[in-house]
Amino acid sequence: MAAAKNDSAGSESVRVRDLVTTFPYGSRRVAVVDQVSFGVAPGEVLALVGESGCGKSMTALSMLRLVPKPGRVEGGSVRLGETEVLELDVPAMRRLRGHQMAMIFQEPMSSLNPVQAVGAQVVEAILLHEDTTVRAARKRTVELFAAVGIPDPRTRIDAYPHQLSGGLKQRVMIAMALALRPTVLLADEPTTALDVTIQAQILRLMRELQRDTGTAILLITHDLGVVNEMADRVAVMYGGKIVEMGNRRAVLGEPSHPYTRGLLAAMPGRARRGEPLHEITGVVPQPAEWQRGCRFASRCPERLPHCTDQPAPRSEPSPAREVFCHARVGAPRDIDPGSSRPVVAAEEGE
Amino acid sequence: MIDQRLLELTELVTWFPIRRGVFQRVVGYVRAVDGVSLDVAAGETVALVGESGCGKTTVGRSLLRLVEPRAGSVRFAGEELLGLPPRELRRARRPMQMVFQDPMTALDPRMRVRDILTEGLDAYRIGVNAAERTARARDLLERVRLPTEYLSRYPHEFSGGQRQRIGIARALSVEPRLIVLDEAVSALDVSIQAQILNLLAELQAELGIAYLFVTHDLSVVRYLARRVAVMYLGELVEQAETEPLFAEPLHPYTRGLLAAVPSLDPDVRRIEARVLGDVPSPANPPLGCRFHTRCPEAMARCSREAPPLYRLGRRAVRCFLHETEHGSPNCPGRRAG
Repeated sequence: MAAAKNDSAGSESVRVRDLVTTFPYGSRRVAVVDQVSFGVAPGEVLALVGESGCGKSMTALSMLRLVPKPGRVEGGSVRLGETEVLELDVPAMRRLRGHQMAMIFQEPMSSLNPVQAVGAQVVEAILLHEDTTVRAARKRTVELFAAVGIPDPRTRIDAYPHQLSGGLKQRVMIAMALALRPTVLLADEPTTALDVTIQAQILRLMRELQRDTGTAILLITHDLGVVNEMADRVAVMYGGKIVEMGNRRAVLGEPSHPYTRGLLAAMPGRARRGEPLHEITGVVPQPAEWQRGCRFASRCPERLPHCTDQPAPRSEPSPAREVFCHARVGAPRDIDPGSSRPVVAAEEGE
Repeated sequence: MIDQRLLELTELVTWFPIRRGVFQRVVGYVRAVDGVSLDVAAGETVALVGESGCGKTTVGRSLLRLVEPRAGSVRFAGEELLGLPPRELRRARRPMQMVFQDPMTALDPRMRVRDILTEGLDAYRIGVNAAERTARARDLLERVRLPTEYLSRYPHEFSGGQRQRIGIARALSVEPRLIVLDEAVSALDVSIQAQILNLLAELQAELGIAYLFVTHDLSVVRYLARRVAVMYLGELVEQAETEPLFAEPLHPYTRGLLAAVPSLDPDVRRIEARVLGDVPSPANPPLGCRFHTRCPEAMARCSREAPPLYRLGRRAVRCFLHETEHGSPNCPGRRAG
């Protein structure tokens, strides 16, 4: 977090700093996005990876200020060039969405209007943000459909969403997201609902388009294979916090955080047949159960006595690599020895 | 070896009628399963893989007759299930259970775990009295590594992984010899999926249960299955033991499928989009080879002639590219393309 200030914000398309988004659980509000900081450079893919409920989608929705009620963004900063996104008024925010920062969702069906032809929806998006004619916008839409590999684009722009397959709908979403050449693209599980052969086509397409446009992509996914194929850098989230961040090769090849290590070891694709898979014991804790310290502590094989009480400290094992883990910094600093009582006994009976 | 075959599907055909108009006239059929032959030996794991709409789920449902096949044969432990009257069918299919992808929709939300686990016992009159049945339910929970206090709880109180354990315990309750696992770990997070896969492996080792693993996830297949059958548009296109299949896929579709699987090795980025376009509608499958519209190696004859399933030693592949190697067609009920 401290180091973020040293980064030259000018070289990044977007810089998120200390972002906090809360939801009410019972009588208190829990930060489901908790002090999240990262940046994405032009032409770069940062993968935000984690299991369900870790806060990765909520991070993207917070950046676009689309957090559903009763959630709300409580603090931090989202800078897009000179613009502070969290301080914009409603009309300015509407102009920014889609234009400078666009988002693709997992379920294209839920983001397309079912009673309007798909081409008209893209045309409308272009007209909303650009001073151009319907005819020119329509021509551009046909070109975009062709660019994202929609066969027979002249006919398909008049198709309704239900007439298209999942893969084609996702291509329409990508065409729409790219129509305005956004500076930043937030892609939330863009291929999770698709078959693997269609996923391969869409991932290739995203990579090619990015090469042409220099868009910065925040790729949100639970799939470590997709991360490996697509990302330049990786941020691993658990319990609303980033626990580890660094270059793809470093994080996937030499994971440092116990959670990242456990996750990679649990992948059947890395295991040998007949040998038991590594298990991360227990279940992902619900936000209402999150503790003050490291949220992975209850499942961590390297847990230290103070892990549940003290937020995990940041360390930098190598340049451009961040890890948030007590076990990676050695002895705890600046805590009262009296407060670090053993936590093992506090856990469910063993 | 033949004697050990627990399940034997021969030329299974399941079509769904497409109805239109006021009188709901049948105007066509979705050919979900169109001549599939497959067998599973006692205690082994066979994977049935393919993408959405290929018919893999319908195969699983057909063999339990949850949907009614139109033709073919389903032999379980030597007994033909197709054509059995309902009462006989209930008895005959008891040792064959199913676990579904979404445990929430598969478990009755109004039933306590105890009742979910003893429903099968009651239906098949296993266990004489209530106390004995509760004891069995408790054993089952222990088997799937859940605390026995959960007996009096309801499904909504559990996480996805815990619900899937309950689904497995329910399947185990009637002492099955075969469990059809229909995308049983697909909806789970990686850390939970590993727990369930380990549990399934342990149960198989202890109880000798055979699994028919229906899935789209090839990394799970490679880890778990001894043999693999690949489906495309209602037909098997390739069948082989797991290692040879992954080492050297023969059918262009299998090759495309494997090339599309993301790598987990940080030194290798390999994803390739070899298979282009979308799957055609199973209501109107292409003439000739059903894969020819997306095949990178299609020849002129592929659009006219339907290739049979060629046997190559212990493997089988439905592609003309392998006709001349050693192939002898092995396709008794071959239809005209």
